[in-house]
Amino acid sequence: MSRWIVLSLVLISAVLSAVTLTIIGPWAGAEMEGFMPVIREFERQTGIKVEYKIYRAEDLANLLPAQFVARRTPGDVIFMWASFIREYGQKGHIIPLTNVIDQAKYLPGSLDAVMVGKELYGVAYTGKVKPGFWYRKSFFEKHGLQPPKTWEEFVALLEKIKNIPGIKAPIASGDGVGWPLSDVTEHFLITFGGPELQLDLIEGNTRWDSYAVKNAFDKLTFLLNKKYFGEPTEWTLVLKQWWNGDYGLYFMGSWITGMVDNSSDLGVFSLPGARGVVFGADYAFVPKYTQYPEEAKKLIAWLSGPQGQAVQVKQGGHIATAVGIDLSNYPAVDREVAKIIQGVTALPDLDDSIGGEFQPAFWDQLKLLWVQPNRLNDVIEILQQKAPKKR
Amino acid sequence: MNTKNRYVLFFVLPAVVLLLVFVVYPVVKTVLLSFLDSEGRFVAIRNYVSVLRSREIFDARGFSRGFPLGALVHNLLWIAIHLPTTMILGLSLSVLLKNVKGGSVIKSIVFLGMVMPMIVGGVMISFIFDRNLGVVNGFLGLFGIQTKTWTAHPDSALLSLIFGSVWLWTGFSVILYSAGLETIPRDYYEAAQLDGANPWKIFTKITVPLLRPVTVVVITMTLLWELKVFDIVYVATMGGPGGASNVLALQMYIYAFRAIDFNRSAVVAVILTLSTLGVGLSLLRSVKDDPT
Repeated sequence: MSRWIVLSLVLISAVLSAVTLTIIGPWAGAEMEGFMPVIREFERQTGIKVEYKIYRAEDLANLLPAQFVARRTPGDVIFMWASFIREYGQKGHIIPLTNVIDQAKYLPGSLDAVMVGKELYGVAYTGKVKPGFWYRKSFFEKHGLQPPKTWEEFVALLEKIKNIPGIKAPIASGDGVGWPLSDVTEHFLITFGGPELQLDLIEGNTRWDSYAVKNAFDKLTFLLNKKYFGEPTEWTLVLKQWWNGDYGLYFMGSWITGMVDNSSDLGVFSLPGARGVVFGADYAFVPKYTQYPEEAKKLIAWLSGPQGQAVQVKQGGHIATAVGIDLSNYPAVDREVAKIIQGVTALPDLDDSIGGEFQPAFWDQLKLLWVQPNRLNDVIEILQQKAPKKR
Repeated sequence: MNTKNRYVLFFVLPAVVLLLVFVVYPVVKTVLLSFLDSEGRFVAIRNYVSVLRSREIFDARGFSRGFPLGALVHNLLWIAIHLPTTMILGLSLSVLLKNVKGGSVIKSIVFLGMVMPMIVGGVMISFIFDRNLGVVNGFLGLFGIQTKTWTAHPDSALLSLIFGSVWLWTGFSVILYSAGLETIPRDYYEAAQLDGANPWKIFTKITVPLLRPVTVVVITMTLLWELKVFDIVYVATMGGPGGASNVLALQMYIYAFRAIDFNRSAVVAVILTLSTLGVGLSLLRSVKDDPT
């Protein structure tokens, strides 16, 4: 009898002492399915259970500050904007990871966004590139279309697509929270203002009413006035419509390769003359209030290390930030993306880097611009008002 | 203290403590915050001037250029359109369906909008006015009218939300007016009919005056809801495009959780609290003074 009691107690204490980490990320649907093998592999290798919870970064921005004040956290490892990690790292709510990962084993600059001085508050997981306009190779072949090499060719291509019967608009415009429109706008800023314009805008060194910004916006509004962009429509819905041939082109990040039925039919081109692309790494951190700091550090180090990232890039749509991952891990379509970004500057996402009040204002103003391009001056005025001042 | 007083204290104290902690303290703290800057220094009414002069709250240029007009004006528009529409619809439906067979079933269907969480209502509104999926465009398409996503355009975003919320809120006034109608004695109607009054006369001289207490409740509750409307806007448009459907409660949220500016957010909260308090007190007083 007493043997059974002892055995039961051992079993109960084993169950109670088992560590289950909670990891919070923004991925749902196909993107989540691509992330789960990474978690499973970590569980297999370490024996630590991991539960995945979905929270949008926009919601975490509301939830976490209050939780942190109460010295609580909803997760042990959390994916979040770099600007948030920097801010709350400095406020003491995040465990520094300076000695947890070897910073030399990451792409140069990829950890800068989560560093304050010499202290590292987050890690870079895999990244997604926003290389340009995606098209279906079969669609281009059917209509005798070619990716453009000059701005004039680009405009001519849009005109040709516009004239195809049944087409709603040459370029699909993704809507939702607002980032699909900001992504394409940033591509115009980088192409016509140079990579340095993106960095200067992030740092507050350039005004939004400067010539460089207005020039890029003029190109964009020229296309909007010509109705080459469709009306903003929920981005996953318009993805399906674009795939079904309602639109010819769709500006999206490299994660699109994991969201279509046949990624080998995908082609992509940047705006002619683009010397930079946004490389948006996903950043994660360990909150100070985790119950399992050592296990959480282990998880975050593994995820952001070559082992975790290799599993993720195999799923498609992701580019590693850790060095030393063999190219054979990438699906063929991602190698095409990798080719595009060769020789161009990798840049941080503009609105994610600035964050704060600017980000929703940027998204909201672009939604206005998309339907009323004649309000460009109003839009620029508001953006200048909300933009960060020189740091 | 005698035994009776001790009992009273025993039962009242928990409620008083809860009220002090969860209502009085946050209200006082919010009012205090509205007079401080981010460093905690007293700045008198500077935050109020800054908020009331900001374009997010009042944008005079909108009157010549079009939306946005500022969150304050948008809330007033919401009241000006939504309040009479839901009241008139509610009263009409409850009167028309009073003696109709199956009227209660129709009223239950109308009330479904109220049962639905407003956050879900917001999602539904965004679908209803969508170019590809929406029933509004499906209907207009029958007449060859060119369609658009109504919530994506500044000139129609706010109106779409207001009319969408009419659908969600009308059930409330239908139920209250239906209950109110049951309290009016039949004798009044019979006497009026014997005197030769026509249905319109009966409606305006008997039904409407005797429903005045119900109308006051409907107006109060609807006004309060319109002043603090947030969820529908947050989900359907996030106040956009370009702030064209922004409202005070959403602006309060943006100040607090996006700009991390609790002082300006507190200003909006105080303005909203005073508005709702003013509405509530004046309408409740009118019920008290009502001779009927």
